[in-house]
Amino acid sequence: MTLPTDQHTEGKKDVTFRVFRFNPQVDSKPYFDDYTIPVEKGITVLRSLNYIKEHIDGSVSFRAFCQAGICGSCGMRVNGLSQLACTTQVWDVLAKSREPGVIKVEPLRNLPLIKDLIVDMDPLVDKMKHYSNWVASTMPEAEMGKKEFLISEEEFLRYDKATDCILCASCVSECSILRANKEYVSPAVLLKSFRMSVDSRDSLHEQRLAELVKDHGVWDCTHCYRCQESCVKSIPIMDAIHGIREDAIESRGMKDTSGSKHAEAFMMDIEKKGKLIEATLPIRTNGVVWTLQNLLPMAVKMIMKRRTPPPPPLVKSAKGIKIFRLMFREMTEHVKQDHKSHQ
Amino acid sequence: MKPFDIVIVGGGGAGLYAAMEAMKTNTALNIAVLSKVYPNRSHTSAAQGGANAALANKAKDDTVEMHIFDTIKGSDYLADQDAVEVLCSEAPKIIRELENIGTPWSRMEDNTIAQRPFGGAGRPRCCYCSDKTGHTILQTLYEQCLKKGVKFFNEYFALNLSVSGSRSNGLIAMNMKSGKVEAFPAKTVIFATGGYAKMYWNRSSNAAGNTGDGQAIAYRAGIPMKDMEFVQFHPTGLRKSGLLVTEGARGEGGYLLNKDGERFMARYAPEKMELGPRDLVSRSLETEILEGRGFDSPAGKYLHLDLTHLGADLIKSRLPQIREMSMNFEGVDPIEEPIPVRPTAHYSMGGIDTDNQTRTVMEGVYAAGECACVSVHGANRLGGNSLLDILVFGRIAGRTAAEEAGKFTPNTISEAELTEQLQDIRGGMHAAGHYERYGELREELGQTLALNVGIYRESSLLQKGIADIEELKERFKKVRIFDTSDVFNTNLMQVLELKNMLDLAETVAAGAYARQESRGSHTRTDFPVRDDANWHKHTLATLVKGKVTLGEKPVTMGRYELQERTY
Ligand SMILES: Cc1cc2nc3c(=O)[nH]c(=O)nc-3n(C[C@H](O)[C@H](O)[C@H](O)COP(=O)(O)OP(=O)(O)OC[C@H]3O[C@@H](n4cnc5c(N)ncnc54)[C@H](O)[C@@H]3O)c2cc1C
Ligand code: SF4
Ligand code: SF4
Ligand code: FES
Repeated sequence: MTLPTDQHTEGKKDVTFRVFRFNPQVDSKPYFDDYTIPVEKGITVLRSLNYIKEHIDGSVSFRAFCQAGICGSCGMRVNGLSQLACTTQVWDVLAKSREPGVIKVEPLRNLPLIKDLIVDMDPLVDKMKHYSNWVASTMPEAEMGKKEFLISEEEFLRYDKATDCILCASCVSECSILRANKEYVSPAVLLKSFRMSVDSRDSLHEQRLAELVKDHGVWDCTHCYRCQESCVKSIPIMDAIHGIREDAIESRGMKDTSGSKHAEAFMMDIEKKGKLIEATLPIRTNGVVWTLQNLLPMAVKMIMKRRTPPPPPLVKSAKGIKIFRLMFREMTEHVKQDHKSHQ
Repeated sequence: MKPFDIVIVGGGGAGLYAAMEAMKTNTALNIAVLSKVYPNRSHTSAAQGGANAALANKAKDDTVEMHIFDTIKGSDYLADQDAVEVLCSEAPKIIRELENIGTPWSRMEDNTIAQRPFGGAGRPRCCYCSDKTGHTILQTLYEQCLKKGVKFFNEYFALNLSVSGSRSNGLIAMNMKSGKVEAFPAKTVIFATGGYAKMYWNRSSNAAGNTGDGQAIAYRAGIPMKDMEFVQFHPTGLRKSGLLVTEGARGEGGYLLNKDGERFMARYAPEKMELGPRDLVSRSLETEILEGRGFDSPAGKYLHLDLTHLGADLIKSRLPQIREMSMNFEGVDPIEEPIPVRPTAHYSMGGIDTDNQTRTVMEGVYAAGECACVSVHGANRLGGNSLLDILVFGRIAGRTAAEEAGKFTPNTISEAELTEQLQDIRGGMHAAGHYERYGELREELGQTLALNVGIYRESSLLQKGIADIEELKERFKKVRIFDTSDVFNTNLMQVLELKNMLDLAETVAAGAYARQESRGSHTRTDFPVRDDANWHKHTLATLVKGKVTLGEKPVTMGRYELQERTY
């Protein structure tokens, strides 16, 4: 093994990389190959794969380019979790490996497989196109270059974090809805859509939003938070998803007849968050239309505005549920009173 | 395939700007952009610092004129002054244009584009978006190209130009997904394939694919390379990977230490210490290593960048990126131990020789970005001028090609030529008698370049370097491709990249050997001073009958007379 050693570290560990293999030209189904190499501290998964490719098996195929965590090429699943191979330390992964000394390396999920660890990114690009993931400037082309838009730091901060996205597709790979429905917009595309829509230079807001509230759009998200948890750039993707939902309710209200969708989504949110039976209460009491018109926009808004912090994903803790119940009851009461005073 | 009006090779900042501008110039044109990686993966994304433009948002007295002067002086007077004028006077307009189409620039208090100081500039004129400027520019351009419906051929690897006489018929490329060799007949071709500094392999800050493919293709087609000997080194690359530790670490008060624990910069720049100019600090590190005061490791000799005295709080709040990098790529937490560093090859000033309109000597073939040499950087590029270069000249390339495409009648590329190409790249390489490992050749190339064609150059070292490259080229003929499949054969791709690097390395070494002076990034210990009488000129390297042949080209002067370059 010629991976460099140095004075900072002592010792090496024998590590078995269990690599997912599939070559569509010859294989009818995927299989795993084991490669065992000694690895010292400080070596990344990508460097190990490079070593395997250069010294043991030249046919192991994967993408890599910058090797510095900025180009987004090397997304793959390491011990089941989607991440960048070039920023993932072998020893760190090893410490948490279920099977001692073994690291399993697999391609990203939810995108078509091409070969070994390489998946097809085209579906993601197609979605970026479908959801107009660009700024359509309000400035006419002939005027460009003459003067700057004046943009406040406050506005810049609204999309700053979202522009960190390197389109590595780790979140795409972890998304629970995509597993069931490949047409689903995808977390990274929601994030980008949000980034464009809060940019005051953009003129496509309405059009983009109209697309986002259709089937396979933002209402399909189950709020499972997996995308955010797996984002390699620690981007709060859920803020973007909340932002789009809030935006949809605020600027479109119930005029999409996908109102039922909203309800469904909302109920699903609630179910995910607190498994509340109360959730169905207002519908049972007041009927679907009333619930939609009165309760839903407000409920969603309250969650989104974070007046009360949204409950954590798949809350198990009783505390989270308690807070939510309280909030929900309070809200229901409030709306009921409103409703009464109206009558 | 139906002939294209324009084929753009490369989807980095230069290629994407060219595509956008060409579509704007003439919407009826049939344009293709080929890229060996998805465009948003291009190396432009790695640029953190920013792009220079005399917007005068920060320093109200900044002018285009000052930017021009800084650039010419920075180039050690090897830049063409008319080209620099184009670069700097277009700068404010193009940065605003990028802003107008959605680039998320950081902002000043008055809501204009933020600017900060950068090395070698008299005024703070570097426009930035946090520490991800290149990334956000590239994203914006890619988004705009998707909006405009640019036809992308992603993960296509350009192999060669098809040439008849003095004209190109278009491009030949391999579709990585299928392994097929395909023809792209075209009236015009624009090369925008980025730099070649990766030939220094793990002594380089560049992405794995910055292998100078476009330059090598043009070179093989008989187009001259200009000033190839000028390669910029950055003082602090991580020892194992060559990846960059930005100047910020020293700016915050980091020390450079040798193995005796000495702050050796005191010897070289007693006043500025660690904050001396890039080339001086690089040379100082190299001297320490050469004189035996570096640390030893199988990955090579190195020095320490020590931040431990800055304390955990400062490191965590101001240098989080650097901490993350050194933990990820060296396994070292700078709060606890010093970071192992050494100079790293960072940027290639040389490239395909073009005029100010990006034309090469071959009709209908253009080049822009880091793969081209106009020349605006001369012997030394200023930080923040490269992003600017790719934008300004990327745009000019797109416009020029769009305007000139009509002049050319489309040619065809024959099936026979494709078969020949396929034979060429695959033929025999799987067979017995082929045993050389590309990984080893690549590493050895990097090593000999770093040692013999590196920061300090000298006649006997350069001769050794030239001999080594020749030997490596010989061994390359026996290189083995272990992956025999057609689908996404990255093994084959890496071998082809190695071939390109070997072809170009020869021009770098030959130019360095010939140039008997020290200028900008090129330091000859046997000719330590700048020699304007004999060497104030560009080097041209052309492939003639399989051999690199050197020629020269005068430097275009203008308002600024030759002066000594002192800071
Ligand atoms: C770490 C780092 C930091 C930097 N920081 C700054 C900075 O702060 N400011 C600044 O001004 N500059 C900076 N630079 C320099 C600057 O980033 C580059 O010079 C510039 O981005 C090059 O852009 P480009 O469009 O010419 O090429 P690239 O962005 O490298 O794009 C090249 C394109 O060509 C394609 N390509 C290459 N070969 C082939 C082939 N055979 N077939 C098909 N396609 C091919 C690639 O896929 C890619 O799309 C930095 C460079 C580095 C390495
Ligand atoms: S929160 Fe929504 S987008 Fe994110 S992973 Fe879950 S379902 Fe997918
Ligand atoms: S949101 Fe995060 S995980 Fe998803 S593609 Fe972008 S950077 Fe990768
Ligand atoms: S190789 Fe670029 S992100 Fe890993």
